[in-house]
Amino acid sequence: MLIGLRDPQTLASRVARMPTLDTAALVLDGVETLQLLCEIESAKTSLLLPPSLHPTLPGIVNWQVQHFPTSPWGPFRLAQTRIECRSGLRPRVFLLRAVCDQRDAALALAERWGFAVDDGSVTLDRGYDRIEARAAIDGRGILRLELRDPETLRPDDVQYVANLNLAETPRGLRLVQVDADFRVERAERGRPRVLSFDAASWGEPDVVPLQPVSASFTVGSVTLPSLRFLCRPEVSAFEGTEKV
Amino acid sequence: MKFGVFFELSVPRPFSPEGERTVIENALEQVRVADELGFETVWAVEHHFLEEYSHCSAPELFLTAAAMQTQRIRVGHGAVVCVPEMNHPIRIAERAAFLDILSGGRLELGTARSSTWTELGGFGANPDDTKKDWDEYVRAIPRMWLEERTSWDGNCFSMPERAVLPKPLQRPHPPMWVTVTSPGTELDAAERGLGALGVAAAGFAEQERRVREYRRRIQICEPVGAVVNDRVATLNYLYCHPDLDQAAATGFRFFGTFSQLNAHLLFTREAYPTSAYQSLANLAPPPPKKTLDPSLAARLPEGVCIGDPERVAEACRRWEEVGIDQINFLLNASETVPQDEVLASLRLFAREVMPRFADDPGARAVPAPGTAVAR
Repeated sequence: MLIGLRDPQTLASRVARMPTLDTAALVLDGVETLQLLCEIESAKTSLLLPPSLHPTLPGIVNWQVQHFPTSPWGPFRLAQTRIECRSGLRPRVFLLRAVCDQRDAALALAERWGFAVDDGSVTLDRGYDRIEARAAIDGRGILRLELRDPETLRPDDVQYVANLNLAETPRGLRLVQVDADFRVERAERGRPRVLSFDAASWGEPDVVPLQPVSASFTVGSVTLPSLRFLCRPEVSAFEGTEKV
Repeated sequence: MKFGVFFELSVPRPFSPEGERTVIENALEQVRVADELGFETVWAVEHHFLEEYSHCSAPELFLTAAAMQTQRIRVGHGAVVCVPEMNHPIRIAERAAFLDILSGGRLELGTARSSTWTELGGFGANPDDTKKDWDEYVRAIPRMWLEERTSWDGNCFSMPERAVLPKPLQRPHPPMWVTVTSPGTELDAAERGLGALGVAAAGFAEQERRVREYRRRIQICEPVGAVVNDRVATLNYLYCHPDLDQAAATGFRFFGTFSQLNAHLLFTREAYPTSAYQSLANLAPPPPKKTLDPSLAARLPEGVCIGDPERVAEACRRWEEVGIDQINFLLNASETVPQDEVLASLRLFAREVMPRFADDPGARAVPAPGTAVAR
């Protein structure tokens, strides 16, 4: 059975630091979410994941770019690069890195939900023929995605999978489960296009996009949850899952 | 109640041609023993690219070998994927008829549309179209068998008038099934006069509800072929051992491995947003029971045929009460259970459990394959 082969300690220097696990849920309305999935080389997927996680076949990189028009820290945008995986029997995405365009929001996402976030610029532009997302750090573009020719879907046709964010917690290095609840009001789907991706800037130069799979766009509320589960990254989820 | 054996041909890592050969040869030996013991059907799935989970990419070849090595057991091509990028409908009709002849009229033809992105994406198939493609296939294939020459003008394929050869041995044609994973597919089966080949675990109550609705709908079906197959089959796990605790220990290892391999597949709904796949449609078994009893046996999920003969018989009896006509058993996963133990389990089941479900003349009449009500 395939399992992750990455030593979690090699990732420890770049993870978020969480002073507490006592995180209150937060409802954010009117959130726009572009999600694009793309196949990557399966042989390298195991090398991206810690031993508690299993890769999917084929390996998939999952980008999510979101615009939060209102929040306690004001409007912000967030771009994430994640790897599809399994924790025990459950579908999950393992966060490699995120970029946020609002410093207070970035700090809160890191301290309360374990997101490893860089400061940068993120855009999410919606047109009738395409929806385009970009992320940049220090003015240098590191991600550019497109959803072409959007068509309407039913709101429940789009599925979102919970994040596992590797973070330094009061209990040590842990995978933090962030099962955001999406209440989708509008959903669209279109042709996925990966126009540029600088993998090294996301911390993993071996993530090479091969075959775009799908692109979706939704509008609705997103609840960032209170934390329920952690997992020790070096052992299987059956052994290492802990309740908060 | 009839019993069958069901093969995914899961292969443990590291892969080697010798390892794959061992899995296939062990499975064929299990088929020969099942034939001798009176099992009704051997089913083999069609899957592609599903590393470890299923290396059964050419089930028609496996089933041909099985048919050549057995006398009585029926061969279930279950299920052939009815998607143009994977199988042209003419080739399905030809291969199935050939297998029916070679097996002496023992073919059951299952139909499906695939549920993983791993497979659909690998062949470049559009998940939005698979249900429509499947519907066209199940209407076209019986005509290819029944008509001397056939033409077809459809959405996913068309053909000028040709004789699709050979014709199957069974008259009017082999029974047809559709695999049922997503809730609601049993109604698709009923409305077309197809057998419901359950391949997803469901609890008794849910299965009973589905069977009841299937039975109601099939009474008013518009059959796609010349014969109505009104049987309902379900999938289960078999490990039968005289000692309940030992059965539970081995059984948990076996179906735990299978459910993990299954969970690691990339299901279409997860990868590709679409209305065409409303559920993950996976084959994972029900979760272990939550209980304060620390024994493994107490945690065995409802309805799973793992245990001593009494427990297994009780599970079968419950499935019979629910209205199931046939239980098809997975016997192993990734060679977790040694071959001699698999064969011993089969023999114990046949000796201690099967006789309790021998044909009852007063039971609901199930049409014999190929002789069902022609419409």
